[in-house]
Amino acid sequence: MSPDSSRSRNIFEPLDCSFVADLWGERFGIPPSAFSGYVFFRKANSVWAANKSILPRLSYEAIGMRIMNLKDRPWKPTTSALQLFGQYATKNLIHLDSTDARAFMEGRTLAVESDAKSGYVVVFYGGEVLGCGLYSRGVLTSQIPKERRLASAEHSSEDLSLR
Amino acid sequence: MEWLERYRDMIPDFEGFREVQSQALPSTCRINTLKIDKRSLLDRFCESGIDYQSFAWYPLGLKLNLEGPGKLVENLLGYIHIQEELSMLPPLLLDPQPGELILDLCASPGSKTCQISQMMKNQGRVIANEPSLGRVAPLRSNCDRLGVMNVAITRYDGRRFPSRPVQFDRVLVDAPCSSEGRERRGPGVLCKSSSKRSMDLHRLQVDLLRSAIRLVKPGGIVVYSTCTYAPEENELVVEKVLDLARLEEISIPGLAACPGITGWSGKDLNRELCKTARYYPHLNDTGGFFVARLVKKQEHL
Repeated sequence: MSPDSSRSRNIFEPLDCSFVADLWGERFGIPPSAFSGYVFFRKANSVWAANKSILPRLSYEAIGMRIMNLKDRPWKPTTSALQLFGQYATKNLIHLDSTDARAFMEGRTLAVESDAKSGYVVVFYGGEVLGCGLYSRGVLTSQIPKERRLASAEHSSEDLSLR
Repeated sequence: MEWLERYRDMIPDFEGFREVQSQALPSTCRINTLKIDKRSLLDRFCESGIDYQSFAWYPLGLKLNLEGPGKLVENLLGYIHIQEELSMLPPLLLDPQPGELILDLCASPGSKTCQISQMMKNQGRVIANEPSLGRVAPLRSNCDRLGVMNVAITRYDGRRFPSRPVQFDRVLVDAPCSSEGRERRGPGVLCKSSSKRSMDLHRLQVDLLRSAIRLVKPGGIVVYSTCTYAPEENELVVEKVLDLARLEEISIPGLAACPGITGWSGKDLNRELCKTARYYPHLNDTGGFFVARLVKKQEHL
């Protein structure tokens, strides 16, 4: 990796798979094999993943999926990437019940008791990954992008099942 | 609506065609098999009491009996994509195969791009081209939400997309058009229609289609589609490239189509144009659409 050069130039630079696998392994316990089918790129402070296949020499606006933002500490996984790789997580994950899952999908902040370490977590409901949350001392803040949130339920006492 | 009168002799059951314009389109979606299999999705819908009906012509297309399907959690999680019924047709005609190199020349907002990706099982490469920066955001957003990994986005002027370093196996030109077939999504497009507008678009469309044929390998497939009725933007565009590519007949069982027209405004057109297909909103309860499937001739290496 050569962070300085890619930060100063707005281009996609190939990134070693181990850079991604190490960080995701450390935070989420995801095995390196989960990443072996992909190629990775760095563009400024973001990391991108794409399938392994031909990539003609063109000027690209995006390659595959943006999976991480390295701008702040700790680095932040995208909800899209967690929906792909999060199923292999073995730590720093939180399972929600249907009421909390709905609130999470509405983009709200929830009181949740968890043994997850402070930082970004994989949020599950009923065995499926909902997306990225930020957890700290019993508080889970939804990181679901605005355009992918559920509309706030006006009748919150009604059936909140997501399924 | 008066603009539609110019199509009176072209469209069967013209009164039915006029009447349907004021009726809202049914809600429709495509099952995104990159994230969920059809059985699991249908089970979810049954559990949630969501009323659906599969398309007769495409097993992954569903009519939904509800309003505002965009806010379904299945859509937010990328298990389905809200997409107009006939918008699912061009990728089927393109018939992309896993491992191929595909170009979607006018990609945003990416409904067809993502359907192509899904048909390729996230393998091979789809180059999704969209010159407008403002239209790249929805394209990216859809790709991300739907779990697409084999798409790379470029921002070239489609008329001048680089010929090198590779040739594409297939190219989709879902061209900018006057969108007359979208009137049922909300009235307004027809009052902007005019002959001048269609002829301005015609020039752009011909250039885009010529570019697509230049970029595809000999024997490769180019699909041209619009959501308009105007012959200036449909048959008259395709006619301009018949020296470079030949037309293949289109037949989709379960979807009522009319053959492309071979005469307009008192002039005869190339008879081969009857192999293109027109889809009218009152025949299938859809929007309006035009498609052509072209094969690049071998001699133009």
